[in-house]
Amino acid sequence: MSSQPLALIAEITHRCPLHCVYCSNPLQLTGVKLELATDEWARVFREAAQLGVLHLHLTGGEPLARPDLTELIQAAHTAGLYTNLITSSVGLAEDRLRALVDAGLDHIQVSFQDSHDTAANWIAGAKAHAHKVALAHAIRKHRLAFTVNLVVHRQNLDHLAEMIEFLAGLEPDRMEIAHAQYYGWALANRASLLPTRAQIESAVEIVAAAEKRFAGKIRIDSVIPDYYARYPKACMGGWGRKLMLIDPAGRALPCHAANVIPGLHFDNVRERSLQWLWQESAAFQRFRGEHWMPEPCRSCDRRLEDFGGCRCQAFLLTEDENATDPTCSKAPHRNLIDVALLTANEENDFAQPVAADSFRQLQEKTSALWSYRLNPE
Amino acid sequence: MAFPEDNSQPKLATGCRWGGTEEDRVVLFPEGAIKVTGTGRRILEACDGERTFQDIVNELQANYSASDPGKIRQDIANFLASLQEKRIVDY
Repeated sequence: MSSQPLALIAEITHRCPLHCVYCSNPLQLTGVKLELATDEWARVFREAAQLGVLHLHLTGGEPLARPDLTELIQAAHTAGLYTNLITSSVGLAEDRLRALVDAGLDHIQVSFQDSHDTAANWIAGAKAHAHKVALAHAIRKHRLAFTVNLVVHRQNLDHLAEMIEFLAGLEPDRMEIAHAQYYGWALANRASLLPTRAQIESAVEIVAAAEKRFAGKIRIDSVIPDYYARYPKACMGGWGRKLMLIDPAGRALPCHAANVIPGLHFDNVRERSLQWLWQESAAFQRFRGEHWMPEPCRSCDRRLEDFGGCRCQAFLLTEDENATDPTCSKAPHRNLIDVALLTANEENDFAQPVAADSFRQLQEKTSALWSYRLNPE
Repeated sequence: MAFPEDNSQPKLATGCRWGGTEEDRVVLFPEGAIKVTGTGRRILEACDGERTFQDIVNELQANYSASDPGKIRQDIANFLASLQEKRIVDY
């Protein structure tokens, strides 16, 4: 086991002005009343730095929904953490951006849903696209690392090359082409999001060409989605090995989706130190090492590379959190993935983006296609 | 790869900065960190945006006078070009 986490993921709120259909947040969101206070987060950041954590990823929900975000970044920066803001940018005007940079923000990662206004707003369930574009131009005026993140799936992969072109025009340092991962809301909407094999194959070529074209200018990161890969992803770099996530209410989780696993208790930073949570808490120990592994993982040469894949995905698909991740080609439950892929590849039906006057109207118009992420109480 | 010119002034790229402790120096960048030790550390610490590539080569050649100066120059150029490609160094 590694002696310390390398990065801390702080889900500082589950509130979000967007309703993205691919959101991987849990279906059971944490309400605002339970959120940690400013000084509680500041203490968490100090403890994280003392523990050897290098990076802090501020995420949510939408971190900008916290009015104290500037203070939180200041606290993280003072503690010595490299601070990354993962955001939709909705709620960020130029003066607030300047305040965040002055407080010590190192990196901002802005999500995009599409290159077309109507399509982007249709996927996000909010009229956010125009603001993102305007803000991207404001970001470039600062000395701040800028990543654009594009979540790709069945409904936008057919114009990936065009989307990459559009994003490159925003002059980011880095571009993430992230395939939707099927947790939370994305799993509920999987039938409408899962790409075809032809889409994946074409995406690989398009990304490779873009990497070559933008080499030295824009770093492009993209991985083959696990449903179409031979082996599962080393989720979170292995359970309790590299990353620690604190949810809005202060619970420490080894992974974003870990709360779907029944019987796991997550201790809280309100009662425990980060060091104790990392070293002693039952949740972090649960899938460390190899003792829990079933066959074929236990005797597999790749067990220390992918750690049996994702525990949360294993549970969500097989109802057994100890099972080999079904995305593995050797998994006894691989048929679950194959059936989903079969359905996804049977037809080439793609939806047409729709616009609406209100979120409610958009929900009504798209109810047969997907459910939008809702906000916590 | 785009190699630095003699008068290039290499520096850490936007969003990259030093971190860790004096004994355990790392360069932090958006999605990771690299531990730098020995010669790599000396080169990167010299990348202050003021010294030129030629200055850095001269310093290292003076420090490693037993090694082939041409090879030192080429090694530094390769090192910086690979970090430039990863968007860790700019020149």
